[in-house]
Amino acid sequence: MLKLSYILPGAAAVVLSAGVACADNIVRIASPYKVTSLDPISAAAAGNIEAYGQLYTHLLRQNADGSLEPGLAESWTISDDKLVYQFELRDAKFSDGSTITAEDVAFSLTRAGGENSAYPAPFASISEVKAVDEDTVQIILTKPSAPLLAYTAIFNAGIVSKDDVEARGEDAFDANAVTSGPFTVQDWKPNDRLTLKANPHYWREGYPKIAGVDLIEVTDNNARSTMMLAGEIDVSRDVPWPQVDELNAADNISIPLDESTVIVILLPNHTAAPFDNLNIRKAAAMALNREAVAKVATQGRAQVANSTLPNALSYYAEDVQPPAYDPDGARALLEAEDAVGTEIELLIVPGRQELATLYKAQWDAVGFNTIVEVVDGGLWWDRVLGGEYQVTATWWYNETEDPDLAVRWALCGTCGNRSYYTNYNNERINELTDAALHEQDEEKRAAMYHEIQRISVDELAQIPIYYPPHPNAYSSRISGLTLTPSLQWTLEETEIVGD
Amino acid sequence: MSTLKYICWRLLMALPVLLGVSVVTFVLMAATPGDPIRLLAGARADADMIALVRERYGLDEPILKQYFIYLKNLVQGDLGNSLRYRQPVADLIARHYPVTLFLVIYTVVLTLPPVVFLSVLSARKPNGVADQVIRVIGVLGLAVPVFWLALLFARFFGAQLGWFPVSGYGETFSEHMWHLFLPALSTMIWVVPILVRNLRAALLDEMNRDYVQAGLSKGLGRKQVFRTHVFPNSVLPTLNLFAVIVAYLLGGSVIVETVYAVPGMGNLMVDSILARDYFVVQGATLVFALTTMLVMLAVDLLSTVIDPRITA
Amino acid sequence: MFLCGLTLVVLWGIVALAAPLLATSDPIAINFEAILAPPSSEHWFGTDNVGRDIYSRVIYGTRLALYIGLLGVISPMVIGMTIGLLAGYFGGWVEMLAMRLLDITVPFPFFVLVLAIVAVLGPGIENYFIALAMVGWVGYARLARAEAIVLRSQEFVLAARTMGFSHGYILLRHVLPNALSPVVVYMMTDVTLVILFGAALGFLGMGVAPPTPEWGIMIAEGQIYVSTAWWISFFPGLAMILLGIGFALIGDGLARMLRIER
Repeated sequence: MLKLSYILPGAAAVVLSAGVACADNIVRIASPYKVTSLDPISAAAAGNIEAYGQLYTHLLRQNADGSLEPGLAESWTISDDKLVYQFELRDAKFSDGSTITAEDVAFSLTRAGGENSAYPAPFASISEVKAVDEDTVQIILTKPSAPLLAYTAIFNAGIVSKDDVEARGEDAFDANAVTSGPFTVQDWKPNDRLTLKANPHYWREGYPKIAGVDLIEVTDNNARSTMMLAGEIDVSRDVPWPQVDELNAADNISIPLDESTVIVILLPNHTAAPFDNLNIRKAAAMALNREAVAKVATQGRAQVANSTLPNALSYYAEDVQPPAYDPDGARALLEAEDAVGTEIELLIVPGRQELATLYKAQWDAVGFNTIVEVVDGGLWWDRVLGGEYQVTATWWYNETEDPDLAVRWALCGTCGNRSYYTNYNNERINELTDAALHEQDEEKRAAMYHEIQRISVDELAQIPIYYPPHPNAYSSRISGLTLTPSLQWTLEETEIVGD
Repeated sequence: MSTLKYICWRLLMALPVLLGVSVVTFVLMAATPGDPIRLLAGARADADMIALVRERYGLDEPILKQYFIYLKNLVQGDLGNSLRYRQPVADLIARHYPVTLFLVIYTVVLTLPPVVFLSVLSARKPNGVADQVIRVIGVLGLAVPVFWLALLFARFFGAQLGWFPVSGYGETFSEHMWHLFLPALSTMIWVVPILVRNLRAALLDEMNRDYVQAGLSKGLGRKQVFRTHVFPNSVLPTLNLFAVIVAYLLGGSVIVETVYAVPGMGNLMVDSILARDYFVVQGATLVFALTTMLVMLAVDLLSTVIDPRITA
Repeated sequence: MFLCGLTLVVLWGIVALAAPLLATSDPIAINFEAILAPPSSEHWFGTDNVGRDIYSRVIYGTRLALYIGLLGVISPMVIGMTIGLLAGYFGGWVEMLAMRLLDITVPFPFFVLVLAIVAVLGPGIENYFIALAMVGWVGYARLARAEAIVLRSQEFVLAARTMGFSHGYILLRHVLPNALSPVVVYMMTDVTLVILFGAALGFLGMGVAPPTPEWGIMIAEGQIYVSTAWWISFFPGLAMILLGIGFALIGDGLARMLRIER
């Protein structure tokens, strides 16, 4: 064992000692998405969401196919007025061996809907979560919420230890976090990797089947692929599309294309010229050969998007259609609006250059004059939140199959983020958003979400481009691992089968 | 004794420089648009929650006040906390700095022998076969984009042949050497030609000087003149350039660190800038600055040893 | 060799000027029918991921490469030479001031500063130039200073001073030409480096906005096709190397000529 110490000026001396780098029963995942916090309510970014699911258990578990099954709650009842949900908890323990009580559940869910929560939207209709006794917890609603059960399985509804969080405050998650899920933290090196080990007290008997997980942050697309080819990792999150074939062809690697709720879109700014004009939005949509764009961007692996909502969501409307590809028609529209030669600025973040190139070429062909501007994420948010953009190419996903949160996020003008900051505001859609949440009748809900999609597609609230699956590469060394549409790795069911 | 005084004086002079560096960094970061909390909390994050956290972290205070708070903590040896990770900046740096330092020293160690060897070989017979070959290869190495070459190395030596790992840093000293070999090699490819060309030019310059020619005509051995006069005098300008290159290596390490997924300072810095993690950028810049200043000091001291004109 | 280099760079200059004549197609026109086509008689260097003709893009890219390379070194060189020569020649408080300025600048990690500036000012070549001017001068300054220190104690300089020539005259007439040799060698290297660093910016996602044909971006974007469509990054890479060789040979040749003059 070799010890090497470096003298670090201005900081403490660091001693790096040899650790056991035994990868035998460990699954190594390289992802471009960073884990910035282990507190489930503090962030709603992809890297965090994916880690939270491994650390904190939920009242209900969501399977890879999206179906719900008992989790921490063994059973539950719903009152006739759909306002009181009562859950019976099973015997379960936190990673420190303490019992998970109804108090912990009430505390965790209240916290997730509270002012310190980054994403309280799913819990907006909850008036109170209360512990009835040690093993019984009640969620009391102000108004019925159709997807409530699904929301108990959402990433920030994970159960944390009330005692620990009250004792240590926010620091509870900085070191030695007490967890309730299949794994617990072995070592967290921010900006590098999060190493998890199996939680011996996890309530699900016999799970997880592996000893641990390494969540490694690797920003560069090529680096992840090279690591995968070299066998240094077992999973590569988001293989760049052009390398899917290459990796698939390698022995021991497969890319099954996990189903996703990702939708790639163009966001027009509805309160700035020229995209405040429906005809201009139509011209922009008609100028794009979306089939060709999807084919080029994903090597033909994505489905062309027809709706403003992801196709993996419930009540997705297959029959709505944005205007079809028609460059001549687009030009005619621009001429009718006297807008030929209109300068438009397409705002993108790094990584979207290929799409921007495709959009610009096709828009300019019908008479727009497109200028592509590349800005980093921080600047992008400033510009988009401030409404200082004309059109931007981006994407989003939804954490649940239920479309409620998706609509609130992307299409509702009065739900807190002005239709993904496009300032699109349709009164009817706003009304339907709330009505659909409270509606308990399946058919009526379906009709409402259809109407929302029809209106928003007709008005081109956004220009849908394509629905990509998750191009994740898996080593044949492991089995049973997939990334669910709600961005959760099924790591607790994963097994090591090869060497 | 005077050397010791000189060193003390230089270190004392480092303080105002560090202050200057911190002011420039702070101003630059303050002028940079972008909200760290928005980037941290994610796309769908609630606006009220973001406002709350901003207030808690004091991000809405006047810039000047923020700077003085920062400075006050700095004087007490506290680099502050990362906005992203809520962890002490010192801890983050302590994790990432050794990696980059190792990489830079490793690169330098790998670089020096070929630089000296190739320069002398080139300068011995200007325009000879060896000189021409070295020049052509050097020019090639210089003109190839590092990130491209690094990728090809990773694919070929790493994935294809399996000789070296393509990512990470390892746990032990020998593992560091093994893991960082390809990153160091990729960096070497452009550092060696720069230094060789300068050292060669300096060597030739020096050999054409009157005193060398005179010494040779007086019958002094060519080898002896070269060793005692030509080489030491030629090293001086190259040494100065070398200091600049080390500074470049520290900052430019981000390229190879990205290609080879090495958790070093370059990675940390770029990620922190993109995430607007102000205090990490601040702290890391200060550590970079201190390192570079120490290298400069070392180079200057070495110069006085080598160059008789400065000591005389 | 100098002539070879000069010829090469002049040739590239001609390519840049005559780009519209030499190119076989529009460098930014996409073509869904010819995606990732390998080199052929129709597309000499093949096509890229959106069907653009790589040969034409490389030809047009020459313009930006020369623009970035030449303009990118001028201001750092002027600033660096001035500071370095003054510091080395006068010594004393001038040197002290210059060295502190240098001390503050050198430690700034190059990419970090560029990225920060790009983030502050928005992306674009102009902002890259600003960043270069702010940090790139240190190499020149250190070289110039080292030379000036040596030169100021040399007999011909001292003689000129006793003959009553002004400092300005001596600096321009005697010190500058003699200090030029290492600086010019360095500059010719720097041209290549400036082009390469520009390319690296593209690699980090902060380069020239699409669809501008720029070699660095072309290489960076072609990287993910390294084993499926090698030609996307190979040809712009080759162009970059050939231009780099041109500048390097000029550097060598100039250094030699200046040495003979002395």
